[in-house]
Amino acid sequence: MKRELITALSLTATVLVVAYISTLGGGLGPLFSDTRPLAKVFLSTTLDPNKPMFTAMSPEGVTAIVWDYRGLDTLFETAVFYLAIIGAVAVYRDVSEKVVLKGGGVGLSKIVKLVTKLLIPMNIAIAISIALHGHLTPGGGFQAGAAMAVVPMILIVVFSRYFLLEVKISKGLALALRSIGLIGIAFTVFLPIIIALISGVNSYIMQNQVKFGAPFSFPAFFGDSLISGSLILYNLFELLAVTFGFSILFLLLSIEESLVKEQMGGEGSEH
Amino acid sequence: MIDYVMVVVGGVLLFVGAICDLLGALGMNRFPNFFVRLHAATVGTIGGAFYPLIGASLIAFGSEFLGFYKWFVGGCSLVSAFLILMLAPAGSHALARAAHKSKASEVTPKVVDHLEEDGGVS
Repeated sequence: MKRELITALSLTATVLVVAYISTLGGGLGPLFSDTRPLAKVFLSTTLDPNKPMFTAMSPEGVTAIVWDYRGLDTLFETAVFYLAIIGAVAVYRDVSEKVVLKGGGVGLSKIVKLVTKLLIPMNIAIAISIALHGHLTPGGGFQAGAAMAVVPMILIVVFSRYFLLEVKISKGLALALRSIGLIGIAFTVFLPIIIALISGVNSYIMQNQVKFGAPFSFPAFFGDSLISGSLILYNLFELLAVTFGFSILFLLLSIEESLVKEQMGGEGSEH
Repeated sequence: MIDYVMVVVGGVLLFVGAICDLLGALGMNRFPNFFVRLHAATVGTIGGAFYPLIGASLIAFGSEFLGFYKWFVGGCSLVSAFLILMLAPAGSHALARAAHKSKASEVTPKVVDHLEEDGGVS
């Protein structure tokens, strides 16, 4: 009884504190009211055509910082993520996906399947819009990829693993599409250098807008719409890479355990 | 006038949602077996999430001080409400079907179980 009382009281206190901070946050002092000097620098430069040496031409500060101001950091973070996926692929290297249907693979009931069919187009549209709007509104390539990766997971749960094999979504295809995404990112990284070598000016790796002594610049506008130079390319390729990176993991993790043991177990292993 | 009516109706829907959430929480604690507790959970999702989201969108549409942004707030609430209306029943249906098929949960106390009489989930 006493324990339940403490739980109830602490839950109530949490709700009250969160409500207080979110409604009257300005009253809590400098932590919530002041903009820090570093933040002011970024806020005043992310979209300012009058400061061509410092701007990223993107109204969304987070994407500008992640893919422009500290782009190389993000590049190696992405590399770490894909090394983890390569590890998973290496562990499962001998496991064949060609499984025999043993009365399985029927999936969930008709109701769930119908709702899933309605849901999946919406999910794909949302994910693509997050990626295409990544330089304008909160979001970006990784978030869009995480939203898109829900699609193969739902397909595996609702329509079964075997359905994915029937529609030819295999580990090999996912690996190929993920590699296309990664190659696209690498291409965008080196594109400034290639163009600058051809046209005979200086440029830096991962350069987006004009920098001191390097007059190369990605176009910030496509027609009338703001595309923020290289940011939209990074977001799109990251969407492709993250979607199919996660898909590989889901496909591998959904292989039947008995099948994996059968194929991976060496001599004398019991299964 | 129409704005005021929308805000009041939205407030009533929010209140109904709060009551449904309370009833759902009570049911989760007090009901005897899995299937009726699932019923209480869906009272919490449909009554306690769908109604308040519709109410929030009505309040947003009726709030002139939000300016242009009222369409963002209200539209997002409406879309979320529609998704919950579509997905929550499918989810609870899948849970109930799986629980009945795997016999993970005994139906006690039982008044009637038509599914079992018909030979179980196919």
